[in-house]
Amino acid sequence: MELELKNIYKNFGEKQVLTGISLNAKSGEAFGLLGRNGAGKTTTIRILMNVFPANAGEVLVDGKPINYNKIGIGYLPEERGLYPKKPIIDQLIYFAQLKGMKYAPAVKSIDKWLERLGMSEYRNKRLDTLSKGNQQKIQLITALAHNPDIVILDEPFSGLDPVNAQLLKDVVKEEINRGKIVLFSSHQMNYIEEFCDNIAILNGGKVVLQGNLHNIKRNYTRDKLIVKSLTDIEKILTNQGVKSEKSVKRLDSDTLILELNSPDNKQNVMKMLTEQFDIDEIKVFEPSLNDIFVEYAGKQV
Amino acid sequence: MNQFGTILKFELKNYFKNKVFVGVTLFIVAVIAVVIFFPKIAASFESDSTDTSGESLPVMLIAADSEDEAQQIKEAFASAFEDYNIQVTAKGVEDIKAKITDEEAECGFYFESPVSYTYYVNDLSLYDENTTIADQVLQNVYRLNTMMQNGISAEKAGEILSAQINHNVENLGKNQMQNFFYTYIMIFALYMVILLYGQLVATSVATEKSSRAMELLITSAKPTSMMFGKVMAACIAGLTQLTCIFGSAFLLFNINKGDWQDNQIVNSIFNMPLNLLIYMLLFFVLGFFIYAFLFGAVGSTVSKVEDINTAVMPITMLFIVAFMVVIFSMSSGNVDNILMIVCSYIPFTSPMAMFTRIAMSTVPIYEIIISTVILVASLFGVGILSAKIYRVGVLLYGTKPKIGSIIKSI
Repeated sequence: MELELKNIYKNFGEKQVLTGISLNAKSGEAFGLLGRNGAGKTTTIRILMNVFPANAGEVLVDGKPINYNKIGIGYLPEERGLYPKKPIIDQLIYFAQLKGMKYAPAVKSIDKWLERLGMSEYRNKRLDTLSKGNQQKIQLITALAHNPDIVILDEPFSGLDPVNAQLLKDVVKEEINRGKIVLFSSHQMNYIEEFCDNIAILNGGKVVLQGNLHNIKRNYTRDKLIVKSLTDIEKILTNQGVKSEKSVKRLDSDTLILELNSPDNKQNVMKMLTEQFDIDEIKVFEPSLNDIFVEYAGKQV
Repeated sequence: MNQFGTILKFELKNYFKNKVFVGVTLFIVAVIAVVIFFPKIAASFESDSTDTSGESLPVMLIAADSEDEAQQIKEAFASAFEDYNIQVTAKGVEDIKAKITDEEAECGFYFESPVSYTYYVNDLSLYDENTTIADQVLQNVYRLNTMMQNGISAEKAGEILSAQINHNVENLGKNQMQNFFYTYIMIFALYMVILLYGQLVATSVATEKSSRAMELLITSAKPTSMMFGKVMAACIAGLTQLTCIFGSAFLLFNINKGDWQDNQIVNSIFNMPLNLLIYMLLFFVLGFFIYAFLFGAVGSTVSKVEDINTAVMPITMLFIVAFMVVIFSMSSGNVDNILMIVCSYIPFTSPMAMFTRIAMSTVPIYEIIISTVILVASLFGVGILSAKIYRVGVLLYGTKPKIGSIIKSI
């Protein structure tokens, strides 16, 4: 299955929120939707979920306009909240039924998920008796219980302890392996890097960068080296050959970053360094998603 | 449609599982039960106590310039004031005043002449009719005396004075005296239920918004299903509550019918004609929906539950005005005045106004049909408009949006 958003425009009154958003995500793949606050992520998600129509543009599944009766969508909103005063099982069944499930399969699926997330003991408790992290796990069930084809997770990791975060990671990986389209929206870049093959960065209602994360990183000029040496770092810094390159900067007590005059020098410089000094590690510098994000979304359009 | 059913069931469960809802209903039924069983309960207490009449009667004092005159008036009063122990005092005004302030006597008459007196009483009650009765008795005594002085025999004079006029009333329309009480009760029930449940609808929408459950709801269900489900659930809950209360009252009354035979008001309430009950149901449902839609739409525009009261104020005011018009027209006795006729066609006032007119006067059937058609048509209009407001409102957070900006975004 392939999900495609094509040239989406949306304005609220006179405020133009989205100007020509186009995205593309495939089954068995996680897609990272990035952008600063107010960039238009939530609006994009809401249009995708048919909360309101776009002013222009289409949402397509396998090239045809999406049929919301057939394609199930699960959503974990950034602003979490369910009915605090109600028993957990009651509201989970309610939401599963709203998504079109029958009562018995809904109960079965919810019990399975409660078990999977280690929440079975809270089944009949009121939601407001749970801690924030546990409430979030309950909310996650509302996004997954009806076995949707598309799972949209908005900041899924915020507020989870490392153990729960690991549990969620496993769950997300399972969903991806089961052929779901997982749409991630998060400001925690490390999680996006871990899961997402493809990303899109929104800024001011436009897609400013889109593509395979791996390729995006590869496309940066490979003219920087990270050099790590426990003993010889001072000597390298003063070495004539090193000094003749574009710039050299010390990152911490035993690493430095060396910018070359040209990517072609890479091999020679690496060879020179490994021959002359006691090198622990040497590698080509690749920008992190964080660096890429700041570069593209740093300035508000 | 499927979603609508799910939402309706969920919302209904909220009402019927709510302890306050169940508690209040049971409490009202219990109060009605106590009231209806009261004559039985009171009777069982009375039979135990011994009869102490005569001594326990309040004292009425009579004084006049001459002892004879006082005696004569006492005799004349005896039959008119059966609830009083009438005593003649010779000591005059000061004695009357003293005894009344000491609470030895309840009231007293001092006669300056056979046709003029001063009435003394400690606290003049709202319902004190003693002077009216006394006036009548004295008037008769005076007339009788004067006739006798003018040569008419005592028997003849008595005959003249006690001449009775026979009259029959044949009511061709409605009997307002009989209808007043049950119409009043029905209108009041309508008023309470609509206002109460309207508020509940608004609160329920705003709570979903403030707890952010709306974020998920809005992506799971159509706003129209959400709103209509809520309103329908409130209507069913309200009707169930009314049925419980009135049904149990009716049942209890029939069990205790014998004890209430002499009470015309209570009897008239429970002898409400069936067709009126059907009209009541019709106008209740239509009126309920039209207001509940508005309450739901308004509830969707606020982000915090605290803001509801100010937001629903205009609707509440509109409804109270409608209620006032109806109640004042009812107590004035003229339910077919111009204001009521106009109100019985305006959708927001017609549920109460038209129902009152049907109950308390004779309304041609075509007027009822016109009023109902207008009401149903505007119900659809209000429903669609409210659903649109709701759709926009539920996604707006922060400051309460202006009406203009909502209409624009629709």
